[in-house]
Amino acid sequence: MDFYLGLAQVIGVHTLLGLSAYCVLLTSQVSLAQAAFFAVGAYVAAILTVIFKWHLFAALGVSAVVSGLTACAVGFPALRVKGLMLVVATLAFGEAVRLFFFNFTYQIQAGELKIGPHGAEGFRQIRYFPEHGWSTFDVLVFIWLMVAIVMACLWWLDQSRAGAVMRAVGEDEVAAHSAGINVTAAKVSAMTIGGVIAGIGGGIFAHYTTHIEHAQFGVILATFAIAYPILGGLSNVFGTLLAVIFIQGFLIEGLRFLGDWRNLLFGALIVLAMNLRPRGFLDAGGIASLKRMLFAGKESSGA
Amino acid sequence: MRIVNVAVAALLAGTMTGLSGGALAQERTVKITGFGAKSGVVRVFGVNSEAAMKAAAEEINKAGGVTLGDGTKAKLSAEFLDDRCNAEEGISVIRRIASSDAFVAVGPTCSNVAESLFGILQKKVGDASDSGLQFPVFADVAAKGGLAAISEWAFRNVPSELEMYKSLFAWLKREHPNLKTIYGGVEKDFAHSNATYGVMKKQAEENGFQVLGTGEWLLNDTTFSTQVREMRRANPEIVAISAHPFTTCGVLREMDRQGVKPKLLIGLTSSSSIETLQGCAKQAEGIIIPTSFAPVTPEAKAAAENVSKQGGSMDLHSAAAYEIMFILKDVIESQKIMAKPDTVQADRNKMRQGLAALKETKGLLGTVGRTNDREAIKPYLYVHAKEGSWQVLHKPSS
Repeated sequence: MDFYLGLAQVIGVHTLLGLSAYCVLLTSQVSLAQAAFFAVGAYVAAILTVIFKWHLFAALGVSAVVSGLTACAVGFPALRVKGLMLVVATLAFGEAVRLFFFNFTYQIQAGELKIGPHGAEGFRQIRYFPEHGWSTFDVLVFIWLMVAIVMACLWWLDQSRAGAVMRAVGEDEVAAHSAGINVTAAKVSAMTIGGVIAGIGGGIFAHYTTHIEHAQFGVILATFAIAYPILGGLSNVFGTLLAVIFIQGFLIEGLRFLGDWRNLLFGALIVLAMNLRPRGFLDAGGIASLKRMLFAGKESSGA
Repeated sequence: MRIVNVAVAALLAGTMTGLSGGALAQERTVKITGFGAKSGVVRVFGVNSEAAMKAAAEEINKAGGVTLGDGTKAKLSAEFLDDRCNAEEGISVIRRIASSDAFVAVGPTCSNVAESLFGILQKKVGDASDSGLQFPVFADVAAKGGLAAISEWAFRNVPSELEMYKSLFAWLKREHPNLKTIYGGVEKDFAHSNATYGVMKKQAEENGFQVLGTGEWLLNDTTFSTQVREMRRANPEIVAISAHPFTTCGVLREMDRQGVKPKLLIGLTSSSSIETLQGCAKQAEGIIIPTSFAPVTPEAKAAAENVSKQGGSMDLHSAAAYEIMFILKDVIESQKIMAKPDTVQADRNKMRQGLAALKETKGLLGTVGRTNDREAIKPYLYVHAKEGSWQVLHKPSS
């Protein structure tokens, strides 16, 4: 049972990572900086709970703000570039952040031990959850509460005028600008919201893995971050969740019994999934079909 | 009379069936699960560990298997799960193993994975306020110093690199008093290499060697021209490389290309493997590495052959996995582990207690000491690459 609870934790945290890229992708910006915002959140939250003994909630709040501000700061210069250039620019930023943590050492003496991030050797003993008696189930509930809150906020955003503005920018930037939409504000807002979500996700990630190091926040994580919403579909937030379940739950954990074949199948199954569902697992057509099925059932029972 | 005969025959047949059924019911198998990297750059370590565990299980079974707490005999079997040297996957794997009837796990390969998964274990045994996982893990490969201190449920059968390099540099100072300068090279983004380079550098300085500089590269790097150019400029007498076989060979080949010929080469423990010789035997000729395994005893030779039959090769890491299986057999028997679904947590506690109580174990090169912080003090020797094979250069204990 503990294994399934742990797996659900992983899916929850990766859903937050995917959602951070989802709102950036709504404005048609492809950002490979989400892993960097995730890293900032992880290190900030871990430093606050381990070195300064803050409560986790406060630490996550600060990590969200710091990551959001970082994303906002990246968002402005990133506006100057588009498309593939933006991919390269955000990738470069992500690598810069990773290399910063590769060289970042800030340790204090705690009894016989030194605690805090230690450059390439990473930051160990981030044990807030076990030290405060949180069971695996407690951690799971907390993670999914955060996921539910973030998904609800993004769902609300999607239904609001702000969401419509972001989608309009994503559909056709020139047309949106012609219609009087502040494209700059929409793009920077999307990047900032993505940063906030990545900060929360990173903060939780640091605490459930208990040890973080620069290598965890490289290009592979950044690729996963944008793969989730693209594979899941950008029609609504649930597509990202489905994609995370598919990748983390099925491809990585479900196929572990295949040994070496798992790695070969991993790429092949993603390609197959993208070919079968080119607009994502949960595209607009799929949602419309679902709605028709649900409402048809209600209409017939009502009749 | 015929009826009586048939009845007796039926009775005998029934008895025999019952007996054989009973005998079959007594035939049990205890599965020991290992885990580590079987993908990516360091996959060979996982492949070797799996082969070593299987070879050891086969040897134990040939000798009659293991006696469980209720007196029944059981065979050992070994399976191995891939964590891809990824901390999140390592945690998932250990949770998967802990969700089964397993009472111990062997692994992981990578120190960064060990850092994370030892962190999710309960730190101090019996601490009710700590909700960490209560499951014993015995590391065979993860070599970064001091990892077992993270949790009282963590154990390692890994040699102390501090002791090995301390001894090596003191020996170099005695044997080569004319050599004064040293240049380091480190695979900076790999926890083990990076930590061990710190040990090498400190020991070199404490023994009076002048460290002229350090070249840094990453585990996945394939070009080393800049680092070797700097090395050539420094013109050191000794070059010490703290990197795994893949980049060690890359650097050695680049040194060969640029004509860097130090009087002495020193390598990382993990590079005293067949991969280094397969990758760059010519360039690695003469490199000196301290190691806790070499086929120098009859037991070690036989073990190396057994592991080879299982498709792996024996080095200091897989030798640790091989030894661990025999240690686990002894602890299962001494702690009277039942290996039944309804005794899982009790068996885990017994296994932890049994491992923590060990003062010494039998190793392939001799007796292995155990420390209070659950680490091993393994016998070691220095090997050097000579004509395409590893040969013993010096035995410090002799």
